Amino acid sequence: MALEQNNRTTFKNNSRSLLIGCFWLLFVFLILFILLLIGGLLNYANWETVKTVLRQKEFHFALTFTLWTSVLATGLSALFALPTAYVLSRYKIPGKAFVDTLLDIPIVLPPLVSGIALLILFGPVLGDFLTAMGLDIVFSSSGVVIAQWFIATPYAVRIMKQAFDGIDPRMENIARTLGYTPGNVFGKVTLPLAKNGIINGLIMTWTRTIGEFGATAMLAGITRMKTETLSVAIFLNMSMGDLKFAISTAIVMLLVALVSLVGLKLFLKQEVRF
Amino acid sequence: MKPVLFAVQDLHVQEGNFQLRDICFTLEESQYLVILGPTGCGKSMLLETLAGLRYPKGGGIFLRGKEITSLAPEARRFGFAYQDSLLFPFLNVKDNILFAARSHKNRLESSIKKRADELTEAMRITHLLDRYPQFLSGGEKQRVSLARALLSKPPLLLLDEPLSSLDQQIRSSIKELLRTIHNKEELGIIHVTHDFNEALQLGTHLLVMDQGRILQQGKVEDVFFRPSSKYLADFFMGENILQGRIEWRDGQAWFRQADSLAEFGPLKKKKIPDKYPDEVALLIHAGDLSLSKANGYEESKANSWYGLIERVVNFSTHLEVVCSGNGKYKAVLSNNEWKELNLQNGSRVKISVDVDDLHILPN
Repeated sequence: MALEQNNRTTFKNNSRSLLIGCFWLLFVFLILFILLLIGGLLNYANWETVKTVLRQKEFHFALTFTLWTSVLATGLSALFALPTAYVLSRYKIPGKAFVDTLLDIPIVLPPLVSGIALLILFGPVLGDFLTAMGLDIVFSSSGVVIAQWFIATPYAVRIMKQAFDGIDPRMENIARTLGYTPGNVFGKVTLPLAKNGIINGLIMTWTRTIGEFGATAMLAGITRMKTETLSVAIFLNMSMGDLKFAISTAIVMLLVALVSLVGLKLFLKQEVRF
Repeated sequence: MKPVLFAVQDLHVQEGNFQLRDICFTLEESQYLVILGPTGCGKSMLLETLAGLRYPKGGGIFLRGKEITSLAPEARRFGFAYQDSLLFPFLNVKDNILFAARSHKNRLESSIKKRADELTEAMRITHLLDRYPQFLSGGEKQRVSLARALLSKPPLLLLDEPLSSLDQQIRSSIKELLRTIHNKEELGIIHVTHDFNEALQLGTHLLVMDQGRILQQGKVEDVFFRPSSKYLADFFMGENILQGRIEWRDGQAWFRQADSLAEFGPLKKKKIPDKYPDEVALLIHAGDLSLSKANGYEESKANSWYGLIERVVNFSTHLEVVCSGNGKYKAVLSNNEWKELNLQNGSRVKISVDVDDLHILPN
């Protein structure tokens, strides 16, 4: 009896070790794959060409254009995502599941499809009205910002909602009993408690806007030195056979992503979570 | 009689399918009211409504005669402390305590600083002022939470299970602290708990709730020692609850146990409900049972009978003795009483109860 139990325990321990072994194997495989990917790209690049490309006007335009459009789109995303995430987290609203799913659509849809939908909305549907108002969205830099904002906002909502969900509403209750109005509670308690989540959300949103391509291409078009973000620049030069320019730009984008994520981790001293 | 500090009239609160109904009570100045009830009976919901954190569907809440039902919590400014302290993790202890003072002004008046100093000294947390909540123990957190709630001298302190998440030793020290606060600050306290020992040890008044309704309220000893129903006696873990019926003989009422010959009485008429049902319960508190050595074999009489000691459980402050004989009875004796009796397991004892200590309860 004791022997049988002993065997059973050994079997359980063995199968557990096997499972953990498999986990480690898959973990190491994934990390190696990503390192290989980055290493391949860096290895393939000719550093002299990278330096030359970095000095080119087109690259400067793409980098500056990407930075200002992505920062603006991130700001707009924050403006919409913060209140949306708070409402979704704190209030019981009718059709909450539907609203929640609606916000997932830009995440689920291929960016190209989102881009077509945006093109139709700002073209045939609202185009005349917007032109009359003096707003040109389609095939313009505004279109780039809107496409980036539309694609990135749901990510911001998701991450910020998670941050608000993690706050015990009783913390806010306590602040109310200590003399704080709901507005003051949001500023003095909710925001400081959600700070890490919000910063996390903003950086994730920003990195998402920097890399946006499909929706941007559909709504704002692929026009050199006009709506040319870094992603668009890579596509343009790849399609024209200028592999060196494309790879150099890709390396810059990779560095931006790495620096921002490492910076975020150091700042928050925690794992970046979705 | 002291003036009324706080009153609640016919309060009705709804949250989904759960309702608080017909909640009425008053709290005099400096009273310590304990709201007792099982988990999920609506105690915390009631407390949040009193603080203004939930809006009632009906009824009224009054502070010193003035209606405050629709007043926002920030205008009521009652002190509030939850069981898990809920200190703000981004502020150190000092700033947590001063949080209420910064709701309107950033510069603190000297009177506020003096008040904070007094409180930190009273709570014995002066050495913790620069620490952040994550580096405090459960008891320290609760002390800070109480200091934070008391800073602006609230007229009423609302406590939601403030001792539940603390271990036994810390719990005793916080209980002592709550007694000190109650005496020194001269404020009303409403303390919600599911632990009737807390109610007995801290409260001056007790309100028992279940399923969103008040079952009984009054002075702690009245409610606890004379529960109004068998349900409440069970809830208070009344030690000896016997099932039986009231019989009338020569104009006197007697309680006769259902499955034995034991009878208790004659019962005082004021203790018998006007419309007593056929089947009633009799509650005898363990502390009201007397044990003595049985001398020979006598017949059981009213209010006394014979039994055998079945089990003795030793607590540090007293002994619990379980006897069998016409059912099982639990008696509580002091260590000295037990030594004097010189009994052990299996000893035959005479069990008796004073007629004044018989409590008839409707089922």
